[in-house]
Amino acid sequence: MSQTDYGQHEVGATSPRKTLILLAVFALAGVIFAGVSSYDFIAHLDRQVHAITCSIVPGIGPKDISGESGCHTVLMSPYSSVLRDLTWGGIPIALPALGVFAFLLFRAVDLLLRKRMTRAETGFMVAATALPVLTSIVYGIVSATQIGTFCKVCVGIYASSLGVFVAAIAAHILTSPPKEKSKSGILGQWGFYFVEGLAMVALPVLFYLTFKPAYTDSLLHTSGLRHPEDKYGVMLDMHGKGQVPAVEVLDPLCPACKGFSERLAASGLGEQLQIKVVLFPLDKECNWMVSESLHAGACAVSEAVLCAGDRASKVLAWAFANQDDLRARGGGGQSAVYARIKQEFPDLASCLGQPAVRARVNKGLRWIVANSLPVLTPQLFVRNQKLPDEDTDLGLDYVLSRVLAQGAGEVRR
Amino acid sequence: MNAGRAHLVLLLVAVAGVGLSVSSWTRAAAVRLGETQGKAPEVATASASDMGYCSGELKVILKRVLTSCGLVAGGSSRGCQPLQARQVASMSGGDFNALFSPLADRAAILQFDKDSDQIDGASSELMEKTFSDRRGASYFFVVSRASPEGSTEHNRDLSHRRGNAVLEHIRAKFQDPDIDQEVGLLWLGEEFAQLDQQFCQWKRSRTGDACGTAELNRSSFIAWIDCRL
Repeated sequence: MSQTDYGQHEVGATSPRKTLILLAVFALAGVIFAGVSSYDFIAHLDRQVHAITCSIVPGIGPKDISGESGCHTVLMSPYSSVLRDLTWGGIPIALPALGVFAFLLFRAVDLLLRKRMTRAETGFMVAATALPVLTSIVYGIVSATQIGTFCKVCVGIYASSLGVFVAAIAAHILTSPPKEKSKSGILGQWGFYFVEGLAMVALPVLFYLTFKPAYTDSLLHTSGLRHPEDKYGVMLDMHGKGQVPAVEVLDPLCPACKGFSERLAASGLGEQLQIKVVLFPLDKECNWMVSESLHAGACAVSEAVLCAGDRASKVLAWAFANQDDLRARGGGGQSAVYARIKQEFPDLASCLGQPAVRARVNKGLRWIVANSLPVLTPQLFVRNQKLPDEDTDLGLDYVLSRVLAQGAGEVRR
Repeated sequence: MNAGRAHLVLLLVAVAGVGLSVSSWTRAAAVRLGETQGKAPEVATASASDMGYCSGELKVILKRVLTSCGLVAGGSSRGCQPLQARQVASMSGGDFNALFSPLADRAAILQFDKDSDQIDGASSELMEKTFSDRRGASYFFVVSRASPEGSTEHNRDLSHRRGNAVLEHIRAKFQDPDIDQEVGLLWLGEEFAQLDQQFCQWKRSRTGDACGTAELNRSSFIAWIDCRL
């Protein structure tokens, strides 16, 4: 495409060159942050647990292996990818971001290599860089209001987005206006760049969908519960909207259980389930199956959930919302957790710590022993078919929708 | 190189860089998935506890006692009478009591009035506390005794009634559907394995009272056994 047709100008004293270099640097930073984020997401397609990068300077500092960082929370949140019910894990948001930043880097370097540039070109850069800024604003709000935490790598993407936008505006301002305007020419040029950009965004997504591991139905062949009956009276009926019977085994202070609960709610599939909860506190205070408390204080909180009766879901929601605080208190002993629960729910004071409720917690653990379940949380059984443990996070929407479809005799191929 | 050619080369470099990265990451994940498919996950399975003191010898004796007492086999008769207990344990009373030594922290001695099978408030509280502290144990032993006053037959019957009183209290309080498979009753009367003075140091329902062998044996000894058979 000829540049001379619609008013190009030599780069003069007020050269936008420096701002273009700055734009290229921010775009490169965006490529790195989005690449790291995409890499971490894609690594989980093998259905295993992986350490993830959670540093504002990727490559510096240890990776998060505990799963307690904001990056892990965001990665496992329902907002890290889209179209989750169509493909296992969905399409990570970071992937199109990678394409966008790669395109911006390409455009910036392309402009830098030329001796001349037009305001049409810099104007397009302003428009193109507005996309990551708008997306960053939306995701920043989602992080703050829905997820409740920020991921450092994501913050890197937000900063890069702002950087390319400001640099693009500066470059545009510093570029001299054309003497003659050709609107159709500008639109044609923008259209060409837009197609290039679209291709750059679509390409990684296409490669991702082409090469990602296929999910076979054989992975769904898991054993069910040996003794699904509730002879100990330990199941809590808390999500009563749906019709499909399901049993969820959870620890009220387990971050993965909280994330699972949020993902299930966000997927909308939870509304089809009639979920009964069995408490499995991974806390050595009451659970002999763990030598160290994975979630200290979980036994006391489990007692509170059982004591609450009809308000069990309210107490569980409160425990999920205050997991960090309750676990920290639990590290200092049960009494600190009891005190916090009594402060929030004074009417439970007479029940907490009593032999009867402790026996109920124990009965729940015996139900788990009777069913020879693995010592981990969360676990979900739908129509007595276990949702594979590896599919309770990124693959939840896809696998659960298949399980529900199978049960309804409508297996989607 | 003219601008158009440079533009094309840059575009190809950008496309190749992104494309190769994404395809290599996804293919690597697919390879790893293929390698792990079919392998059992390395996660512990929930099970009843099996403490260090559960030696092979102890388990053999426990199984013998539990089977003979109608617990493991689910026989119609429940509990072990003194002679049966002596036979199945195949050991002296002292050795039988020594079996329970590792359970000092888990056991409790519920004391009764002389010639009585009534459970008082302190015994009731201690019993409930002990039973609710089950943890991962599989079996609950109730070993009832009587002090030597009175006839042997009377004491055998008295210890039987004491054991039954404890079992019925637990049954009523905890409504455990597995109670018949997990509570083992032994009533020893005055004939076998009388508790000696050292058991005064164990958890008892009448800690404030005098503790002699007579008081100790007007009792039901209760304990969860953390052994898997």
